[in-house]
Amino acid sequence: MSLAAEAFVSQLSAAEPWPETATLYQPLKEDQILLSDCASSLAVQAYLRMCNLPVRVACRANAEYMSPSGKIPFIQVGNQVVSELGPIVQFTKAKGHSLSDGLDDVQRAEMKAYMELVNNMLLTAELYIQWCDDATAAEISRPRYSSPYSWPLSNILAYQKQYEVRRKMNAIGWGGKTLEQVYEDVSQCCQALSQRLGTQPFFFNKQPTELDALVFGHLFTILTTRLTSTELAERIKSYSNLLSFCRRIEQAYFEDKSS
Amino acid sequence: MNQNMAAAMELRCWGGDWGLPSVHSESLVVLAYAKFSGAKLTVSPIDWTWKTLTATVPELICGNSALQEPTQILNFLRKQRFNADYELSARQGADTMAYIALLEEKLRPALLHTFWVDAENYANVTRPWFASRSPFPLNFLVPSSHANTALSRILLTKGEAPLHRISEVEGKIYSDAKECLNLLSYRLGSANYFFGNSPTSLDAFVFGFLAPLYKASLPSSPLQSHLRQLDNITGFCDNILAVYFSSDHPCPPPPVQETMDANLQKLTQLVNKESNLIEKMDDNLRSSPQHKPHRPDPKPSPASEKNSTPA
Repeated sequence: MSLAAEAFVSQLSAAEPWPETATLYQPLKEDQILLSDCASSLAVQAYLRMCNLPVRVACRANAEYMSPSGKIPFIQVGNQVVSELGPIVQFTKAKGHSLSDGLDDVQRAEMKAYMELVNNMLLTAELYIQWCDDATAAEISRPRYSSPYSWPLSNILAYQKQYEVRRKMNAIGWGGKTLEQVYEDVSQCCQALSQRLGTQPFFFNKQPTELDALVFGHLFTILTTRLTSTELAERIKSYSNLLSFCRRIEQAYFEDKSS
Repeated sequence: MNQNMAAAMELRCWGGDWGLPSVHSESLVVLAYAKFSGAKLTVSPIDWTWKTLTATVPELICGNSALQEPTQILNFLRKQRFNADYELSARQGADTMAYIALLEEKLRPALLHTFWVDAENYANVTRPWFASRSPFPLNFLVPSSHANTALSRILLTKGEAPLHRISEVEGKIYSDAKECLNLLSYRLGSANYFFGNSPTSLDAFVFGFLAPLYKASLPSSPLQSHLRQLDNITGFCDNILAVYFSSDHPCPPPPVQETMDANLQKLTQLVNKESNLIEKMDDNLRSSPQHKPHRPDPKPSPASEKNSTPA
């Protein structure tokens, strides 16, 4: 769909209110979903909860192929389908729900910059560990990714995905990195986030923004997911303000509404 | 500053043109940072050598170690106590990382597209430049291999779905890039540099990414016209060029009018020289019936030599 058409559609949808039947699709929670997809999905859920927009989570084995961009997660609202956090933020904004309206231009620039930092470092590191670390790929990523399919399709799809991610890593210059260097990058990223957060409750003081949702989605998922080694979670645990930030958002947006 | 470092540092990078010390973004980042931090680098352009194919550019060679990628090189320079970020607070250091990530994610795909994938720019600017700086037969190889790398990088990082097509991502990467330029413009405001009164590594990165886009004469680029509307960002680039790169500029290309004047002058001198030569040869011929081909003066005017260097 072209940009103009997208803009037109989002104009049209602006008039309609948020329906009760809005659904978020992700891969199977227990057996299939991988760390990076789980983090992105949690970020979108956190964002929608912060906006106070109800959404039902649906798990589908073929969620990746249902998504218009091939990326997890995507939401279906009425007759519209939108994938990934950035477009979803724009979509909700068109409907009159926004978390970043109170920010000035400089703060908005800063928010976007930190969001790209998370995408550039944390998300890439998650992908690297999942698919380029041989132990993790063999023990966790490939079996989980292909769990809904039977042999030989399972093998074909898993190796195809791995090949795809490795090509991407080579293209951005991460192909030659060692696991240790990737952990070091994660540490640096967390250090920057921790510095930026300081002692504030949220990144932009009192009100949560989409940046808070994104950071929460990634950090919380890394902290609560078991991998072949605990090194990744350990790196985050050394920043106490990030830990309490995660706990705060979990309590405020996920615990009281879990009924 | 700390100029008494033991090992000499050599930087291999693409050479300059369009009024810039290098036309290559990553090389420009390192060059700018070196100026900001006071590091003395021996710059050796890879132009016209076989390194245009084999070398990874930019590359810093210091003693036995060779470093690639701007981030690695900047880290190395910081460890050598050439630190332009010394006065930044931890929070500003974090901001630096975030904005560099913003540049990488939002601006780089569009820059690669503008220079290497856009057919008109590639055919009229990028390919001729890189081909003319590569020795035969590499001139057939180097530009297209760069273009392929650029295209596959865009598709792999921004492409959607298993079957990637460039036309589907173009709109998105350009709107991302324009947004990124706007955000940088807001962040810079009316200041000279991003943090305080002296330039830091973030300034080096922004300058490196934006200066080629600003200075190249591209036949088609909506991104360039967008950039030229952001006065504070263009002022930022001009300021860095004027303050840090004006004196030791390898060959500052004069503005168009001056070039024409210089060419005209050269032509006149050439014509004069020719006619002198013909006259003298005529005289020689007349005075001596035998052929004595001693040419009077192969290079009679030193002024013409000075002018002919850019040509």
